[in-house]
Amino acid sequence: MDIFLQLTFSGIALGMIYAVIAFGYQLTFATSGTLNFGQGEALMLGALVGLSLAGSVMGGPYINYWLMIPLVMLFGALQGVVVERIGVRPSIKTKNEFGWIMSTIALAIIFKNVAENIWGKDDLTFPSPVSATPFQIFGANVQIMQVIVVLGALAMMLAVEMFNRKSIYGKAVVATANDSDAAGLMGINTGQVVTFSYALSSATAAFAGVLVAPLTLTGATMGTALGLKAFAVAIIGGLTSGVGAIVGGLILGVAETLTGYYISTGYKEVPGLLLLLLVLAIKPSGLFGKTTIKKV
Amino acid sequence: MLTINNLYAGYGKVEVLHGISLDVPKGKVVTLIGSNGAGKTTTMRAICGMIKPQSGDVSLNGKNVAGLDSHRIARAGLAHSPEGRRVFSTMSVLDNLTLGAFPRLTGARPKGDIKADLERALELFPRLKERQLQLAGTLSGGEQQMLAMARALMMNPEVILLDEPSMGLAPILVEEVFRIIQRLKTDGVTMLLVEQFAAAALNVADYGYVMENGRISVHGVPDKLKNDPAVYEAYLGGANKH
Repeated sequence: MDIFLQLTFSGIALGMIYAVIAFGYQLTFATSGTLNFGQGEALMLGALVGLSLAGSVMGGPYINYWLMIPLVMLFGALQGVVVERIGVRPSIKTKNEFGWIMSTIALAIIFKNVAENIWGKDDLTFPSPVSATPFQIFGANVQIMQVIVVLGALAMMLAVEMFNRKSIYGKAVVATANDSDAAGLMGINTGQVVTFSYALSSATAAFAGVLVAPLTLTGATMGTALGLKAFAVAIIGGLTSGVGAIVGGLILGVAETLTGYYISTGYKEVPGLLLLLLVLAIKPSGLFGKTTIKKV
Repeated sequence: MLTINNLYAGYGKVEVLHGISLDVPKGKVVTLIGSNGAGKTTTMRAICGMIKPQSGDVSLNGKNVAGLDSHRIARAGLAHSPEGRRVFSTMSVLDNLTLGAFPRLTGARPKGDIKADLERALELFPRLKERQLQLAGTLSGGEQQMLAMARALMMNPEVILLDEPSMGLAPILVEEVFRIIQRLKTDGVTMLLVEQFAAAALNVADYGYVMENGRISVHGVPDKLKNDPAVYEAYLGGANKH
């Protein structure tokens, strides 16, 4: 029972990371109908830049973990702007339905290669900013960092949600997601809104990167699988629902850790991906997604 | 206030407007009437920047805005209540109205008294007042139309384009919409009104243009147009009578 609980707690922490990355997919999808398939690489770059600032790999530490987070998010935002300008905007301008898919994947591969050249191909250890000694909840060991991951992920999503609801610029983002042409008629620069959503999306991924890094190994290849699984989460939960991202993330995260222990680590990804196939067959818009009717 | 000169526009290689010229003076209501497919909505879209004109001038308050992005034209003072209403359906009525004032809230247009204008809009459209916190997508067609008009007013624009405000509405709501247009006219709001209900539009307008196949065929004051046999036959007699 203790082990079951412990696995569930780890699954929840992992699941919240998936949820934050999935949330990032949703941000750009809402405003532009496009996705950054390099979300995983944005996370990886965030983690490595964070490690260089707060760890010793580049002769540091230069700054402590907590002060590093805003800098990493700023870096993530800039990286998102680059992706949007180079990979996505030309595709939107020419109304090319598929160009952005290849170009965001291409940029992801380039980012990964660049990271391999700067930080090497081996995984690095990210020093934990808090005590690694676990504490007990109902007899199960929980790491403080796991709690921080869950709270940090929730805080990030809540902050974006509040921005969208309360501020006029957030409302402009929601309006653009609703009806881009009509938003333009209100004087909203919808091109800028799309760039902003890419910046926010990559900043979110970079944030997820520095959250997850102390719990796993950090390296150029850490993002690819995370990004892909978070994409599955976004599909399971629905590309339009923040709650869906959280629920989908938790399902996948917990299913993974439980399968990994009780069945075999070799099969740990299978239940989540089976669920993905099931959702696509039964409710293609996702568990919480709104059914969209494509008007012709 | 709004002057269109020799405007050509279309979709892709298909030219729909073959040289449109019209003038909307300050404080006046001008209507553009014509049958389905004459190019009325295309004219509106070319004016507001939803499509780029192929050539011609669109002058707003003395500034040529032809070819600019729609958000720039909006910030120059052009509000558009578009065909099909296009309200932000997942947002509340109040948020929709706030977004109408986006250029004022973000410094692109003079701020003025946004609160007072909101109260005025809600007083003008009492149905919206009752439904302030409701999501726009849950409103009836008539209420959405009123929201689209109120949202355009919230910009405190130089000129408002109203594209088919009566479309799909029950007769009683059509009357209400025209009563509101009349009221706005009395308040001195400059409007360009596109309508299929030609008679009602000519009753409220100071000047009218008749459009046929992407060209202006006749224009003049409403009395002249009403007495023009061709206009009467095509738009005011028979089934179109309202």
